[in-house]
Amino acid sequence: MWEIISKALPQILEAGFKYTVPLTLISFFFGIILALFTALIRLTKKNGFFLIIKLFFRFYVWLFRSTPLLVQLFIVYFGLPYLKIKGIAPDGIKLDAFIAGVITFSLNTGAYASETIRAAISSVPRGQWEAAFSIGMTRKQTLKRIILPQALRVSVPPLANSFISLVKDTSLAASITIVEMFEVSQQIAAENYQPLLMYSLVAAVYAVFCTILSWGQGKLESRLGVKSNMKGSDN
Amino acid sequence: MELERVSKSYGNHLVLKNINLDFPRGKVTVLVGPSGSGKSTILRSLNLLETPESGKYLFDDLIIDFTKGPNKKELAYVRQKTGMVFQSYNLFPHFSVLGNIIEGPTQVLKLDKKTAIENAKKILKKIGLESKINNYPEELSGGQAQRVAIARSLAMNPEYILLDEPTSALDPELELEVLQILLQLARDGQSMVIVTHNMSFAQQVADKIVFVEDGDIIYDGEPEPFFKNNKNLRITKFLSSMVLK
Repeated sequence: MWEIISKALPQILEAGFKYTVPLTLISFFFGIILALFTALIRLTKKNGFFLIIKLFFRFYVWLFRSTPLLVQLFIVYFGLPYLKIKGIAPDGIKLDAFIAGVITFSLNTGAYASETIRAAISSVPRGQWEAAFSIGMTRKQTLKRIILPQALRVSVPPLANSFISLVKDTSLAASITIVEMFEVSQQIAAENYQPLLMYSLVAAVYAVFCTILSWGQGKLESRLGVKSNMKGSDN
Repeated sequence: MELERVSKSYGNHLVLKNINLDFPRGKVTVLVGPSGSGKSTILRSLNLLETPESGKYLFDDLIIDFTKGPNKKELAYVRQKTGMVFQSYNLFPHFSVLGNIIEGPTQVLKLDKKTAIENAKKILKKIGLESKINNYPEELSGGQAQRVAIARSLAMNPEYILLDEPTSALDPELELEVLQILLQLARDGQSMVIVTHNMSFAQQVADKIVFVEDGDIIYDGEPEPFFKNNKNLRITKFLSSMVLK
């Protein structure tokens, strides 16, 4: 058994560092940017043209929270090649599997995380806005210097949860031909006829990755003062 | 600083009814009246945290027409010239005491950090909180937090400080330390507009008393005739209810 593990583990880890980790990090990065943008747009009180943009982002969040991630992956990777747009993509939109993965995971993370960030911003007491306005800060300054730092502390635990979930969700990328950890374990299991051992091994690797991230989450939370107070943001 | 024919409503409820008020420079104007009478709305309108529906706001050479609302320039000017102190302090919890005080000067007045810190230290010395410079708001008592809020306001070097029931969230012994600071500021000639329910403090600090009831100005004048031998039934009723409290 140890011989099989010692042979399979390096291949699984290699796939992890080559695909799972970059896919997670890149998707989460873009997902958070998208989430922040979406949350801010949805919280704006401006009307008129903004109302249409708000409705668009509302629809986006609804769409990605209401459909399975696997289906979203299939639509982006297998479906978009059939979307032929005259002048722009007459032969359909064909994406590299990794890019399709990044786009789908970013959009999915963005939809969920935008609700977390929106709730975190809304949870900052109105008095904080007023105190900042009262000393002459603009809305932009207030958001950047006063509201977002406080909202960040509130949103770290749920966002870290989303990040950990994303690590595990990337296993779905196997279904669009990305040779990440789960795909590699499937290939090895097909060769050595040891599915129980191989899938248990890849599960253990996922668990180790997630445990390290949970530890990092704890460190980040204590650094940002999430649990006990709001200390530590002077600059 | 002056309000002219100002009206404000929340939904169907008219909270300010065509009021006219002036706030003399270098003096302390105290707004008193029953809860919900419109005192805080007046104060918040002076800092433009509220925008009344009609009337004018005269500040230095600026005339703000509330029917149009203030533009960005007017908003910035008025807010820099009027510091606001809230009942619940509203300190920034992620900044230290020093961070709270230098935030406005560095970000709004664009003062260099070194000068802002030096000024902050002087203000903290004045209000007796030098030792708390590196503490965070959650480590302060209510009285200390409110003094820091006053310091934050003073750091912007405002022409007027507006205080919305600054001591009503405090225990009597903590209230005293805040009141002493305010009395000191009044002696130094700092223009202030204070909303308070503390009548003995109002009597002590006010150069001018404004009694507000149901969005109307019932009294606007010297403190002495207001507190002594007042013939107005609504005012005497209010004052006796305050004494009972």
